[in-house]
Amino acid sequence: MIELRDVTLDVGGRPFLRDIEARVATGEFVALLGRNGAGKTTLLRAIAGLHRVGCGAIAIDGTPAAQLRALERAKRIAFVTGDEVFLESLLVRDVVSIGRFAHHRWWQWNAAPHDEDAVAGALAAVRLEAFAGRLFSTLSAGERQRVWIALGLAQETPILLLDEPTSHLDVGVAHEILALLRRLTRSGKTVVCALHDINEAASYADRIALLGDGALLALDSPDAVLTEPLLQRAYGIAFVQRPALLPASVLVERPHVGAQHPPNDALH
Amino acid sequence: MRAVALALLPLAAAVLSLFVGATSLSPAAVASALLHPHETGVLHTIVWQLRLPRVCIAATVGASLALCGAVLQGMLRNPLVDPYLTGVSAAAAAAIAIAIVAGVSAAATPGIGFVAGLAAAVLVAALARRGGGIDSNRLILAGVSLSTLFAAIVTLALVRAQSSQYASTVVAWLAGSMAGRGWPELATAAPYAALGAVLAFATAAPLNALRIGELRARSVGLNVDRAQWIMLAASSLLAASSVVLAGLVGFIGLIVPHIGRRIVGSDARVLLPACASIGAALCMVADAVCRRIVAPAELPIGVLLAFIGVPAFLYLYLRIR
Repeated sequence: MIELRDVTLDVGGRPFLRDIEARVATGEFVALLGRNGAGKTTLLRAIAGLHRVGCGAIAIDGTPAAQLRALERAKRIAFVTGDEVFLESLLVRDVVSIGRFAHHRWWQWNAAPHDEDAVAGALAAVRLEAFAGRLFSTLSAGERQRVWIALGLAQETPILLLDEPTSHLDVGVAHEILALLRRLTRSGKTVVCALHDINEAASYADRIALLGDGALLALDSPDAVLTEPLLQRAYGIAFVQRPALLPASVLVERPHVGAQHPPNDALH
Repeated sequence: MRAVALALLPLAAAVLSLFVGATSLSPAAVASALLHPHETGVLHTIVWQLRLPRVCIAATVGASLALCGAVLQGMLRNPLVDPYLTGVSAAAAAAIAIAIVAGVSAAATPGIGFVAGLAAAVLVAALARRGGGIDSNRLILAGVSLSTLFAAIVTLALVRAQSSQYASTVVAWLAGSMAGRGWPELATAAPYAALGAVLAFATAAPLNALRIGELRARSVGLNVDRAQWIMLAASSLLAASSVVLAGLVGFIGLIVPHIGRRIVGSDARVLLPACASIGAALCMVADAVCRRIVAPAELPIGVLLAFIGVPAFLYLYLRIR
């Protein structure tokens, strides 16, 4: 469970997000929406302990996040980001096995048997088993994105935070990834996922958190959040539904997990 | 197989360089002197008091510089970083130059250089500090600019000492050479080099995590700030000990990590021992060549390595691109 009480986050010395009150239950899938620069990444990083909390407190399963040491935190929260930084020629397997860092002390040089299982499991979950021996630098943008998700999965944490995991992915793979995250919540993982695609959020999330104007505008079910006034406030443009193209129900209908035909874009 | 080869490499280099020197000695004579450590005589003195300490010093210097370069390149995620980036060597050289010109006894100069080198590392770290950690770009900027300042001090000392015999002593330090060093110098510097090496090996897992970027390394549980301080301490100890032992020996710290990565990959658990091994072997062989090539005089090892190292590095780096 993630709890945010009166959280204010500063960026560049100024308050950026104010008075965030939120609670995400165990096993829940929360999508984080908001325009570019609304603070989605900053908020996720703060929960992951990678951005300092100005005021207020964040608690992970009842423990104040500020008290968690780096290693303990990394066993509870995995933060998945697609930011590109790259230097050396690493194999996909090497990259993903770095996710096991927190499960070792510094003098334990060799991987434990379970590490290999965890890495193999993470690669299988994102369907990259066949890529384990490939050079990371030879992968496409979408495959790299899946490697970063596998890195987070290899941490075997109860909480997964993902910063736009579906960017660079085609519609099919994007929905596959979201369906995977959905399945993970069924097995008890908590997922908070920043997304750009409102339809993806509507299709897969239990609740949607909408950021705008430096605050959390709403945290509620997709039906309650995806309303014209709220969306217009968050994104600054008018949203028009086009029922002639697709029935409006596609917006809020959740496809079966692993559906062959994922919902198409219905909002424009 | 590769591990065995890498372990045997420094041994082979050590044996080879024991048989090389200003005086030609037959392998049998050298071997017999080595096998009978308690005898006396010219042969015994050459082997035990001149060649063996030189070989050990070269191994220490080479391994230290290579380890230091590997740690710094990994920490800053920049393959062009070398051990002298943190200002350690420039400060040590400046302090030694001043000490020589001021007429401080030769026995005290290495200690002065060592202390000055570590002091410069602390200063650079203080300038590069941001929050609880170290900012990579600020570290590079602070190191490079302080190094320039110290180089100016060395030049000033050389100008002041132009007419005296001190100038050649200063130049000998700058060119990098192990001439005239023996067991006492090694005994002074080796413990610090060993401490630096232990710290370096302790950062193997953090170095591996840093390969995927600082942010991701943090999110998989690495305390990046603490790891960077340990890496900086390790690299400063290693660089300072090697400068004290051999002056400015360039390129080993820059090239050996590249060679190491080509042979064993970037996993620091394998890369660090491999770098230590290759660095030690390279430095021992280079020192042997320096002793032999213009015998009975000696070529500064810094000069030899620059002649071989620069083209080799350019070749390696341009080919990767």
